[in-house]
Amino acid sequence: MMYARMEVLTMKKSLLITVALVALISVSVFAGGSGETGPKIGFIGPMTGDNANYGILCNNSVILAVEQFNAKGGIDGKLKVTLVTEDSEGVPEKGLSAIEKLSSSDKISGLIGPVFTGVAFAVGERVQNEGIVMLSPSATHADITSIGDYVFRTVVSDGLQGEVAGHYFYEKLGYRTIGVLYAKNDYSQGLFEGMTASFEKAGGKMIISEAFQVGDKDFKTQLTKIRSANPEAIYIPNYTAEMAQILEQASQLGIKIPFVSCDGFSNPDIYNLAGDFTHGVVYVGPAQVAESQAYSKFKSDYEKKFGVSPDSFATNAFDGANILLAAMEKVYKATGKFDRKAIRDAVAATKDYQGVTGTVNFAENGDLVAYQGLYRVNGTTPEYIGTFTVVDGVLTQVD
Amino acid sequence: MGIAEFFQHLTNGLTLGGIYALIALGYTMVYGILKFINFAHGDVLMVGSYAGLFIYNALRGDASLGPWVLIAFFLAMLASMVISALLGVTIERVAYKPLRKATRLAPLLSAIGVSFILSNSAAWAFGTNSKKFHYPFDNTPFVFKGVVITPHQILILSVSLVMMVILKIFVDRTRMGKAMRATSLDQQTAMLMGINVDRVISLTFSIGSALAAVGGILIALDFKVYATMGTMTGLKAFVAAVFGGIGNITGAMVGGILLGILETFGVAIFGIPSGLKDTIAFGVLIIILLVKPAGLLGKDEKEKV
Repeated sequence: MMYARMEVLTMKKSLLITVALVALISVSVFAGGSGETGPKIGFIGPMTGDNANYGILCNNSVILAVEQFNAKGGIDGKLKVTLVTEDSEGVPEKGLSAIEKLSSSDKISGLIGPVFTGVAFAVGERVQNEGIVMLSPSATHADITSIGDYVFRTVVSDGLQGEVAGHYFYEKLGYRTIGVLYAKNDYSQGLFEGMTASFEKAGGKMIISEAFQVGDKDFKTQLTKIRSANPEAIYIPNYTAEMAQILEQASQLGIKIPFVSCDGFSNPDIYNLAGDFTHGVVYVGPAQVAESQAYSKFKSDYEKKFGVSPDSFATNAFDGANILLAAMEKVYKATGKFDRKAIRDAVAATKDYQGVTGTVNFAENGDLVAYQGLYRVNGTTPEYIGTFTVVDGVLTQVD
Repeated sequence: MGIAEFFQHLTNGLTLGGIYALIALGYTMVYGILKFINFAHGDVLMVGSYAGLFIYNALRGDASLGPWVLIAFFLAMLASMVISALLGVTIERVAYKPLRKATRLAPLLSAIGVSFILSNSAAWAFGTNSKKFHYPFDNTPFVFKGVVITPHQILILSVSLVMMVILKIFVDRTRMGKAMRATSLDQQTAMLMGINVDRVISLTFSIGSALAAVGGILIALDFKVYATMGTMTGLKAFVAAVFGGIGNITGAMVGGILLGILETFGVAIFGIPSGLKDTIAFGVLIIILLVKPAGLLGKDEKEKV
């Protein structure tokens, strides 16, 4: 019988692929009608599924950036930029077929995304080979930018996030022992390892770590084990669907241990799914810029157009898109065409870009030069604690 | 491990097992009568959960707790049982009945097709993100000597138990139950004895599907409602049915409860890494197929499947 079910799974997959192919063909047929147009940029993110909210919010930002750019006349006052959005469903294989299409059929000049770390690893290899510059607004795994020189991100590397998290939990929150409940994916595991390393370097001890598979809904076994180990805090570096489930079940098990989390918690969807269970959670998220005018304008434009607020990744995506558009314009003005290599160089040369996330600079490896913010949830409202970074292994408050 | 932790794991395992058992009943009943695995069973569960969710939300309006919400929940559960039962019977009529004389493989493939149609349609119609099913009661847990149990867990255990006992009595003690058992033994002879086999089969599908709806709603309270919710749960319940002895109602109950406890204890006591929790069920399936293919309570008989 198992054999039959295995066949079912394969069939399901191939059915999906067929559907995707049909969709692809119809999209390109419909897109093929227009005449001479300006260059295209691509976006890859989860647009459907449990994690669709992450992709949709980021894609909105890119839509907004392109629209505002075109409203000002587009490239060199004449060429309008077109955005092509592809759904990865948060799955690496889907991401690969998306970049395949964007690269060969749409011939994009640059890519915003992918949103998820796992997908970014797969797509990153491909853009590096094809020579397309990529700016992820949210792929935080420390190793993403080591793929190559075409891979950039406008989000803080987990290297820093994990370091700030570990130090902050130990020094400022005073925890000496910690438990971790993480998912078996690159994002969650990367944060778990980074936080643990820095927490233990600071002098604390990670006394229990439990894992689960992405998509799991029942965490009672893991939570019961953690409850017995009784750490002073539980770190949950996950996405909203899982975190909501964990917080709710922890309360059902009568767990009073405080929860600490990561930038995945900055997606407002968590408050719909988990409600009051979010109260008291402290999480490391994006550093808040002192309410810059640029940010307020972006936020109000965004809310007016889409009826929802941008999350931190969406804010990053807006800067990423604008940096890419500026680089394309610079290259076009200098050479009259859109050479992918030249665009990559122009992105790398970005210096003190004043964006909605603050001042953006890229390090040599394509990482964002950055800070982290700390938040505490009061009821269902995150409150800002402060901006931190780690300089030579020492936690430093910036503001 | 302390006593409290042991009993905590036992409580968690029993509730998980209760749900598996409830769903396994549907697999086992259909197998008992028709000798085929209804792979669309998990998807009927999913449709039942969506139906329950929509009716429940429509009935309760803005109210979050109170007697009316409980009544709304109860009515939604009943309505979703009826909807699922009708769906189950319709599926049988449309997709399985015309194939009753075909090879054994044909209805199985048809079932897989129905499973796809249901889950893809649900994803298309309702979207793929999870929908929250609000508790109709205050789910604040009770604590007994360090062991925590929620009202929801008590509900699962009691509902599963009551449903299983009723079903057992129905099959063992009533005329219709006798007709079911006769049909299960030998369809041809049953027909000659004047039993309306078509009606028995419809009844089997409606009972199994109604139980699936109950299971679906009970799971949805904790795990939320989503288009693929029937896949993994259905698969686990199928394992439970085989574990206990497929075709055997008591076996499905025992298999479900044991599987729930094994999954929980496998991680908690035998130290299987928690990331591998799902493999326990399928490991059990392989072992049982190798060692005792008829299942724990099944009679050994040679048969080609």
